Amino acid sequence: MATQDNPSSTTLMDLITSDPVPGSDASSAAAKGGAVIEPRRSFKRTNLLQLPSESVNSIKILSPAKSLVPLKQKKKPLSYSQLARSLHELAAVADQKNSQKQLLHHVFPKLAVYSSVDPSLAPSLLMLHQQAEDGHVLRYAYYFLARILGEGDTQSISAGGGIPTPNWDALADLSSIGGITRADVLPRIIAQLTKEAENPDVSVHPRRVAALKALTCTPMSNTDIVSKLYEIVFGILDKVADAGKVRKKKGMFGRQSVDKESALRSNLQYVALSALRRLPLDQGNPAFLHRAVQGIACADPVGVRHALAMVSEMAVRDPYGVAMAVGKLSLAGGALQEVLHIQDVMSRMYLARLCYILSRARGIDERMDLRSQFTTLLYQLLLDPSERVCFEAITCILGKFDSHESSEERAAGWALLTSAILKFPDPSAQPSKDSSATQGSDGSTASNDSVAKFPKDRPAPRPRRPQPLIRLVMRRLESALRSHLRPVLHAAMRIVQEIGKSRAAAFALGMVINEDSVPENLIENGDIIKADSEVDGGDPAAEVSRTKVVPLPSSLAANSRESIASMLSNLVEGVRTTVACECFYVRAAAIKAMMWMQSPEESVEELKSTIAGELSDPLWPASLLNEILLTLHARFKATPEMAIILLDVSRLFATKAPGKIDSDVLQLLWKTCLIGCGPSGKHTALEAVTVVLDLPPPAPDALEVSVLKDHSSTSDPKAAVALQRLTQAAVWFLGENANYAAAEYAWESKTPPGTALMMLDGDKMVAAASSRNPTLAGALTRLQRCAFSGSWEVRIVAAQALITIAIRSGEPYRLQVYEFLRALAKGGVQEKLKEAYVSNGEDQGASGTGLSSIIAPMLQVLDEMYKAQDQLIKDMRQHDNAKQEWSDDELRRLYENHERLLDLVSLFCFVPRSKYLPLGPTSAGLLNIYRNRHHIDATTGFNDPAVATGIADLQVSTVTRIEYPPIQIDAAVPSPSDGLVDGIWSSNLAGVDRVNAYLGGVGTDAPEVEDDTATTRASVSYDDMWAKTLLEASDGEDADEQLSGSSSPESTASFETSVSSQFGSSRYPSLFGNTTSFGQNTRWEEEHRPGTRFGKFSGELTSLAEDQPSYVESSPANAPLHGTHWQSGIGNQEPLHSPSSEVPSRPSDVQYPEEARAGKALYEFTAGGDDELNLTAGEDLEIEYEVDGWYFVRKKRPGRDGKLSGLVPVLYVTS
Amino acid sequence: MLMSVLFANSSGNVLLERFHSVPGEERLHWRSFLVKLGTDNLNGARDDELFVASHKSVYIVYTVIGDIWVFTVGKDEYDELTLVEVLHAITSSVKDICKKAPSERVFLDKYGKVCLGLDEIFSQGILEHTDKDRVRRLTRLRPLVE
Repeated sequence: MATQDNPSSTTLMDLITSDPVPGSDASSAAAKGGAVIEPRRSFKRTNLLQLPSESVNSIKILSPAKSLVPLKQKKKPLSYSQLARSLHELAAVADQKNSQKQLLHHVFPKLAVYSSVDPSLAPSLLMLHQQAEDGHVLRYAYYFLARILGEGDTQSISAGGGIPTPNWDALADLSSIGGITRADVLPRIIAQLTKEAENPDVSVHPRRVAALKALTCTPMSNTDIVSKLYEIVFGILDKVADAGKVRKKKGMFGRQSVDKESALRSNLQYVALSALRRLPLDQGNPAFLHRAVQGIACADPVGVRHALAMVSEMAVRDPYGVAMAVGKLSLAGGALQEVLHIQDVMSRMYLARLCYILSRARGIDERMDLRSQFTTLLYQLLLDPSERVCFEAITCILGKFDSHESSEERAAGWALLTSAILKFPDPSAQPSKDSSATQGSDGSTASNDSVAKFPKDRPAPRPRRPQPLIRLVMRRLESALRSHLRPVLHAAMRIVQEIGKSRAAAFALGMVINEDSVPENLIENGDIIKADSEVDGGDPAAEVSRTKVVPLPSSLAANSRESIASMLSNLVEGVRTTVACECFYVRAAAIKAMMWMQSPEESVEELKSTIAGELSDPLWPASLLNEILLTLHARFKATPEMAIILLDVSRLFATKAPGKIDSDVLQLLWKTCLIGCGPSGKHTALEAVTVVLDLPPPAPDALEVSVLKDHSSTSDPKAAVALQRLTQAAVWFLGENANYAAAEYAWESKTPPGTALMMLDGDKMVAAASSRNPTLAGALTRLQRCAFSGSWEVRIVAAQALITIAIRSGEPYRLQVYEFLRALAKGGVQEKLKEAYVSNGEDQGASGTGLSSIIAPMLQVLDEMYKAQDQLIKDMRQHDNAKQEWSDDELRRLYENHERLLDLVSLFCFVPRSKYLPLGPTSAGLLNIYRNRHHIDATTGFNDPAVATGIADLQVSTVTRIEYPPIQIDAAVPSPSDGLVDGIWSSNLAGVDRVNAYLGGVGTDAPEVEDDTATTRASVSYDDMWAKTLLEASDGEDADEQLSGSSSPESTASFETSVSSQFGSSRYPSLFGNTTSFGQNTRWEEEHRPGTRFGKFSGELTSLAEDQPSYVESSPANAPLHGTHWQSGIGNQEPLHSPSSEVPSRPSDVQYPEEARAGKALYEFTAGGDDELNLTAGEDLEIEYEVDGWYFVRKKRPGRDGKLSGLVPVLYVTS
Repeated sequence: MLMSVLFANSSGNVLLERFHSVPGEERLHWRSFLVKLGTDNLNGARDDELFVASHKSVYIVYTVIGDIWVFTVGKDEYDELTLVEVLHAITSSVKDICKKAPSERVFLDKYGKVCLGLDEIFSQGILEHTDKDRVRRLTRLRPLVE
């Protein structure tokens, strides 16, 4: 709020107090409602009577306009300090009438304006509390004391708004002995109030009530006061609740007949229950539950509400216990039945909750009577005169209780709603409650579409016919939809949404609910009633298992009766008319309700026309529209089959209100729809996205605005720009996801290698492309159109999208794009368009499309790829003809070329490095040979520092002498041509592929992958991974792509990082020397003692060994023995001096040299296990063999422990 | 939970506010949001005409009595219909305290009593009394039932 120094302006305090004093320095800033800082002002006791003229120094909550408000001239302005001082003075003479009047009319009301209460006021307040007799004054005293108690340490949480209270410190010198802090006064206040709250004197019981209420304002973090409060509350309840049973009062407040004792008891019980509700819920405490349940019978309706609120809260955690405790009350004539007739709406609402929780409690299966009672009560609440209660009962029946509801519960809720019947309790069974019981039923005159009044003394009507719930609910909703109250309309819309949600959940779970059945029949046919009587009062949980609700024979249906379907359509019709409400929030709720009620089979036209009509209203707030879009999203999640319909609807938002739609929200919708619509729907989903591109292209002479000829938004330049952004987003989306939608990837292409070069005929190529994959071909066609017909920004994005598709797709798509881009760069396309293109005088760029600079690098990459592929084919042919093996040098050049192209390609879009073959599929074999030879990780390639610096090669010869052959190699795999049994892994292309697949993220048992589905699903394909990256890439999808060409939100670098961190070498630091640094190796060697850990590792090795390249350059030491590579040593080469029985069990890890080497202990080493050996520094040793970072050594003479041989860490020994 | 009750005058200036579990920084947003709602809808509205709004899962019900706008904000069980109850309790009490639909002047004159009344109607985000007679009795420190 604005504030002014101007005397004519007013503040809230000015208004309340008096006219401002001219010349007042009251200047303060004020935020809305109040963040204003009052300058510190202190005054001394000696100044008390000299009131400072500059006083009101507070927030000016009011605007200048308020200065017009006539002020009472007789009043004086008051500052906080003046008020405080007045309070001190008046408190001392509180017994005088005049001072009481002053307090009531001047001091307290003005003090209430401030946002907090200064603790220095506490002494005066406490004095008033003790001495004042006037009820009003006392009430104020309680009010302010409660505020002092409630204002915890953090001012910001305090509830009170208003003018910020001047700094307490500034006022602290009010006290001659120093500042008064909260810590000083709190104990005093609490002590005084506690004493009063415990006072059993009947005459002061209103004060007792007020004191207890004030005490409950204390922050519950204070355990002392909490336990004290429990004590007081239970003390009160012990006395009043038990005694209260004797005298039952039906009368609510205001009944004249209530005797004094009962009144007192009721008051105290209310305040105790109210206090108890504010105390932390003591779940395990039987006394707590007992008292709360007892409170349901409280004579005070608000007390009942609090009791029910507590009990329903406890019921969530312990339904059985609560059900047993409440059981008696639910019987006819019990307190729960009485609640039905309490006037307090919230009590009945909590009753609905409680009944719902208890009726579905699993523990009370054996107590069907109880369950039936609760269910009947819940159904009866559908007839409640208050919409609030009725709607609560509906949502409970629908399975929506809190945010954690499951779709099974929702589906069961829908089944229940469509099948259950409300049978009214027999009035004759409860004569004492006759009149009241029937009131509820009367409320049910739902069948007459009228909301019951609540007649108290109506004669008992005849027993009512049972009613199907669905009919009651529909009637009630229809009547609510006719309400003129906006909140009722809004709430009804929400309930319709909930119905739609539950119905959708039932569809999703495959529940067959015949909506053509006629519920009336259920009650008209006596037999059927009987058969279905278990539904009424029955077990809603049991409904869950019922996947099919048997429809009634149609022959029984009376023609005039409504089926569920027709009731639903009436409801939707009612919702549709509600869209005419002038309140946007109600309209938004209505649209959401319609979305939820839309089923996949129905025509979407009505929904679309309604939304289209709504969206033409320019006044819609953007936030509401985006909320509706999010509802679309939720609707899709509930029914993925509706992806296409929903995308169709989303198109309306994109085209009608592009300026208000958050393109991120829309893209999210596109994405989830694309991913969720299943393989069959992807094509259609992509088509639905491209509708945005189908919008009429801008005319050449009005490039910006006339994007949408037929839409109102075209006149709005902002909307036109927004539409353009949306188009960009759609183009980008298409480029990024076309391959996913079409399931076409270069690295999974079905086109045989080399086909591309044989398909140079453009027409044939296009024909082949569209016949093989119409989705991708269609996307390409649209993008091609965008690349020359859109605005410049769109064209750029389209070119980027095209290159993305070209890079990711196999042939002939790549070639198709290549040809198109080449033509585009040369301006050939413009040639084609020349006739249609009317220049507006603007230079369109030398190339005609203005895209040359963008396209040139793209073409260059494709050129390079094709050249390299060509060259590779030539080279291979040469080698084949000459029957010549590829030399390492040639392979290196090939690999370098591969890496270079990969780097280039990665500049434009993301490709999986481990799979992508810019040199064509034929290069895979050669590349793998080179990779395996040099231990290059397929994912990181030369980016791996170990590879770049040559360490990877060094490691092989110097450090990693132990390699782990695959333990679980399939015996059926044929041996490689070199005939080495142990070399089975060395040139196993299939295995390498598996490695690549693993490294590329397809692995089925990759540990610690966050996405469960990626690891648990057996058939995880690249599509799934792709989908995952799509889902995760919600940021950075801005259509404003960088010209550098990286159009993917997941930049290459970041992807590499994540991939390598998940799958790369760092995950398994020591097991693969070829991919790790020395440090990692060393660390592992120190950590993993072979004797103790091998058992655990063997499993890991199994999987890892399969997945890792294992072709090893053998070390010189190994060469003589094993020719080239692996040492499998399957168990038959037992170490000569096995220190323990475990060593033979890990034979595959061991390398056996021909003879022992001499070594020397570098450091002292203490054995950690039986098979380890103590070392003394400088000791001479014989190294017999090495096992996984450990030497098996033999001493020349036994050590202190008498052992002669054992394992020691490699690093402790120099050889 | 009843998150907020806010009174403003017809120019959109906040006169009285109560928050529960709303951090200080969010209160500013709420104030401006509510005042904007009032400015957009309440000018020319009838006394006690109910308006509704929602923001995610938070509901707002508001009305005007005399010169005073009254907003209630709630969530969970305090949905739009419960807020109608709350609002009704508040407006009937305020009218009771001010003797009629209050002008701004009268409302400010009775500011203290209104605060006491609100203290009885709700506290700590929980609705207490909805009956104006009970509220009146309690603000005078008289027994609820005699």
